Amino acid sequence: MITYEPVVFRCGQGGATGLVDADPVTTEIVRQGLNAAADQMKRALVRTAFSPVIYEVLDFAAALYDADVCLLAQAPSLPTFMGTMSFCVRAAVDAVGGTAALDDGDIILYNVPYGTGSHPQDVAMVMPVFVDREIVGYAAIKAHWLDIGGKDPYSTDTVDVFQEGTIFPGVKLYRRGERVDDLFRIAIANSRVPGAVAGDISATVVGVRAGAAALTRIVRRHGIGEFRSCVARIYDHGEATVRSFFAALPDGRYVGHGEMDSNGVDDDRVPFDVAVTVDGSTVRIDYADAPAQQRGPINCPQPSTVSASRVAIAMLAGGGEAPNEGFFRAVEVVTRPGTLFHPLHPAPCFLYGWAGDQAMEAIYQAVSHAMIGAVPACSGGDICALVWWGEREATGEVWTDGSPHPVGQGGHARGDGASALIHISEASTRIAPAEVWEARNPWIIERLELAQDSCGAGRHRGGLGLDVVFRLREDAWLTSALERTRNAPWGLEGGLAARPNGVELDLGDGPGSPFGKATRLLVPRNATLTLRTGGGGGYGDPAQRNVAAVHADVRNGYLSEAAARASYPHAFRDGAS
Amino acid sequence: MATRIGVDVGGTFTDLVWYDEATGSVVVSKEPTSPAAPEVGVLAAIDAAIPPAGLAAARYFLHGTTVGLNALLQRTGAVVGLLATDGFRDVLEVRRGDRDDPYDLFWSPPPPLVPRALRLPVRERMLADGAIWIPIVGSDVEDAARRFTEEGVNAVAIAFLHAYANPAHELEAERILRAGGFTGAISLSHRVSGEYREYERTTTTVVDAFVRRRMGPYLERLASTLATRGFLGDPLITRSGGGSMTFAQAAARPFETVLSGPVAGADATAAIARALGLEMAIGADVGGTSFDTCVIVDGEVPVLYQGSVVGLPIQTPWVDVRSIGAGGGSIAFVDGGGLLRVGPRSAGAIPGPACYGKGGSEPTVTDAAVALGMLPPVAIAGGVTLDLERARAALAPLAAPLGLDGADAVARGVLRIAAASMAGAIRGITIEQGLDPRGAALVAFGGAGPLFATLLADELDVTRIVVPPHAGNFSAWGLLGADLRQATSRTRIVRLDEAGVATVGALASELHRELDGRATATFSARRREVHADLRYLGQEHTLTVPVPNDDGVVSVTAAALHALFEECYERTFAIRIDEAVEVVTVRAVVVEPLPTRAAQAPASPVPVAGGASRSVTAWSFTEGRELAFAAVERASIAVGMTLAGPAIIAELTTTTYLDAGYRATCDPSGSLLIERVGS
Repeated sequence: MITYEPVVFRCGQGGATGLVDADPVTTEIVRQGLNAAADQMKRALVRTAFSPVIYEVLDFAAALYDADVCLLAQAPSLPTFMGTMSFCVRAAVDAVGGTAALDDGDIILYNVPYGTGSHPQDVAMVMPVFVDREIVGYAAIKAHWLDIGGKDPYSTDTVDVFQEGTIFPGVKLYRRGERVDDLFRIAIANSRVPGAVAGDISATVVGVRAGAAALTRIVRRHGIGEFRSCVARIYDHGEATVRSFFAALPDGRYVGHGEMDSNGVDDDRVPFDVAVTVDGSTVRIDYADAPAQQRGPINCPQPSTVSASRVAIAMLAGGGEAPNEGFFRAVEVVTRPGTLFHPLHPAPCFLYGWAGDQAMEAIYQAVSHAMIGAVPACSGGDICALVWWGEREATGEVWTDGSPHPVGQGGHARGDGASALIHISEASTRIAPAEVWEARNPWIIERLELAQDSCGAGRHRGGLGLDVVFRLREDAWLTSALERTRNAPWGLEGGLAARPNGVELDLGDGPGSPFGKATRLLVPRNATLTLRTGGGGGYGDPAQRNVAAVHADVRNGYLSEAAARASYPHAFRDGAS
Repeated sequence: MATRIGVDVGGTFTDLVWYDEATGSVVVSKEPTSPAAPEVGVLAAIDAAIPPAGLAAARYFLHGTTVGLNALLQRTGAVVGLLATDGFRDVLEVRRGDRDDPYDLFWSPPPPLVPRALRLPVRERMLADGAIWIPIVGSDVEDAARRFTEEGVNAVAIAFLHAYANPAHELEAERILRAGGFTGAISLSHRVSGEYREYERTTTTVVDAFVRRRMGPYLERLASTLATRGFLGDPLITRSGGGSMTFAQAAARPFETVLSGPVAGADATAAIARALGLEMAIGADVGGTSFDTCVIVDGEVPVLYQGSVVGLPIQTPWVDVRSIGAGGGSIAFVDGGGLLRVGPRSAGAIPGPACYGKGGSEPTVTDAAVALGMLPPVAIAGGVTLDLERARAALAPLAAPLGLDGADAVARGVLRIAAASMAGAIRGITIEQGLDPRGAALVAFGGAGPLFATLLADELDVTRIVVPPHAGNFSAWGLLGADLRQATSRTRIVRLDEAGVATVGALASELHRELDGRATATFSARRREVHADLRYLGQEHTLTVPVPNDDGVVSVTAAALHALFEECYERTFAIRIDEAVEVVTVRAVVVEPLPTRAAQAPASPVPVAGGASRSVTAWSFTEGRELAFAAVERASIAVGMTLAGPAIIAELTTTTYLDAGYRATCDPSGSLLIERVGS
């Protein structure tokens, strides 16, 4: 077996020169305009999409790039995707023959996992933006297609990429504004839900065109010269924001520990370390010691490893601003080809995002060693995705639906963790209302409630996880893709761990044993499936928790009295309240 | 009895317009808002403008208020208890699992309006088709009632799953509560909203219960005070979804008022668009803290069906007015990365902009306008004199970190950035509907709207601007035309075929019967409307399409309705899709119009003879240098007169900045029509 040398990826192109002379007023106007343009792409896509995975789950990213494929702006959507889009644009353009092969009105389809960072279901559409016959940038959307012809609609057990779905290796779906119908028909023919995919393709086209039109308007308004110098200043501005955060961290090498429950095929746990090295205002995130690429689909292609790092950094250090290329200039990512975080063709990577999420948690853990209070304790730590499908009894039509589920958030220096939020890697995602779900799918949601005692104890406790009970009214299949079922969410600064994630199937004879990953599990009519999502870890010594807060938690039923007495005995001593 | 009074209570000022149908006369007043007891400010505005005989002779008192909104903002409403379907007591707290700020690791939602201890489960269950899955367990309601009593609950919200499809369990729970002696207000989710989505419907129901305790007594106090002073006409209040309702209706459905703040401005924009025959008008209302914009196409106020307020979704019709935090009081600052930013933080009424000399030291948009000479340093409403030196002193410290040359350069940046963000909001609201703002006329109003009019026109490439008379009080003028309106809706998902249209027809009739039950019978003429939310099969988001009907009786074929939907879809998204269509929600509206006003805009102030022209030096954005601007009194511009920019036109409630390259003509309605010269 070949062993590769580590490769270093600089996350943001260019660097502040101090020579940019754009005026700060026009720059701010351009910056606002670009963020609004990305937002218009998102709105157009969401309002015309056919699948809940797009219009509710927001399982997509929409972004604008400049002619050098530097990030101009992106709409808040799926953070995990946001950091991968530059790879998608480059790979798509290279695949069709480079910029010389592009015409106004072209739209490229691209979903090679090692280029997009994602599984084949996440398909990028890239549209070059021309002003006066010159490419001034790109509008790009990567969105999750409900089904793209993998061995199952959703899998936790693929052994190579060919089982995961149809590959579009960078091909033009539109040439000069005209759809290439042969290609469109191939795409549709390879889906179990062709109607939904056709609708979502249309919606994505509406979205990238909206972005291209908005970018064109901005460039025309300011002229290409002024536009470029404003953009250069916008990047410098982003870089300064992030560098000021890292400059405040003490220099050093900090290691965070992560672990995957399994690789989806073998049962062994897969531990890994991520080292975060702070040197002045520069930070290096090192995955070179990761285990070898796995037989099962938890391999995380390099673009998603970079993305997890970019997202973690943007959230830590971005001051709440929408990120641009400059944010990432202070960050380097080191990976070793042939490993979990830089797999090579044809390694399976259907669950790439799960490894990416655990990498983010490991980065946060590393940062917690560098600066007390910089991050919260661990959240439920996973998106807790369930994907369902079946054939409707009355019509024989195939239905499919999937969703992440909220988890408790970690306690932190400023207060208790929030209950029931989707993992930060999918921070804008929403769960469907039970009423919408029941109108659409053959099931009844019997319970969707905060889970008492599911949080980690601490001076500031974690947030609560959820209990969700599905009762099926027709046979259905389920793929359950859960991480952190074996590995409880950690506390910080003396705070305690919380309940981990898990799923149980009850066929009418009592609940079976909890599990995390399963593919094409039959959930028959009248069976119930219970999802228990993790709580957030606690922050600080539980003995220091405010006594009134403990009693309020009991009064509100967040904690049972027994659990409260066990975790916070000081609140029940004579005279304590 | 042909006079009407409009009073609009804003965050900073309470504005009044008194209009006499017989003479066409218009009297305005502007008094400080009194947040603790808004009726005090209302009465002050009345006292300032209307003699007792005038009040006694008025036919209508039309009121826009933020009492409901403020109750939510300040969390000062009822102690609400919630009855929820067992298994779903946490609907308010789980929400939809999303974060307002996706980049914030520490984000927490605001605490729910009802704490968990007061959200009690009831065993019962309806299904999506209205079938009963689990019959209601009455003893659960009785137990909850006891708990509510112990906890001092004074209003109860009942929100069961799928109650829109079958309300029997909510009604039964209400009956049990009353039988047990509960005397407080009870809000039932199916009465508040007939639509699905339990988080949104439950929240709306809880908001209804929460604000009722503030709204009812406020309206009672106001009505009785008006009556004591001799007012004999009808007091009406604006609805979030446009139009008005009686005080009694508002007390029964207070949630319908919480998004009504900016509605009067949209109504006023629509009225002037109709009067001037504008196909497409953009309302640009710049106040002290916010910029509100709406798009009026064919004179119609745009209505959407789910809004949000202070982070809470409200499932009720609302007029599509978008707000951003950019107004005269917005504060400018240099951010950590060295860029100039404006807002959303505002200096508000207290301390106010630095140039007010009331203790404010941070530079605001108003300070920038004063520094550039756009607002002459004179006395304005409220006894304030604008102080040029204070404005400059506040702006100057920003120059060095930005590398700009002095306070004036900062001031120019502040105005350009504020105008760009307002233009961005306008672009958002137009482009997402498939409309091009360049074809629209900009209607500029609010205290600072006419100041930004030509700046916005430049930014958007708009060539026509309308500055209505009394532009600073234009929202209150909009109140005067607020027809009585009631609306209701019901979710029922059916395929759009002939059977589907029959279902739409049957539902529309049922909904109109429900509205008749709420009606006031104050007016004879009524107009009925039917709308349907439609989508392609498989989509979630819908478009609302007017359904052709004959006085509420649906008269359309499935094919024709399908065609109407496709047309609307293509206009919005520039694409047609070959897919079946389904109906999601049916909506019924009944409108009882107020008598038509003879005047289509408030009359201008009487011209004063010989308004001698002075000139002031101010910055011209179109020319990029300082110019001598003519300083003109608004009252001196008579109908038919044309005034070429550069000019600064002053009046009591606002100042119009007419940049070089623009000219203004006073049209017969009294509005200033501003055009770019040469276009």
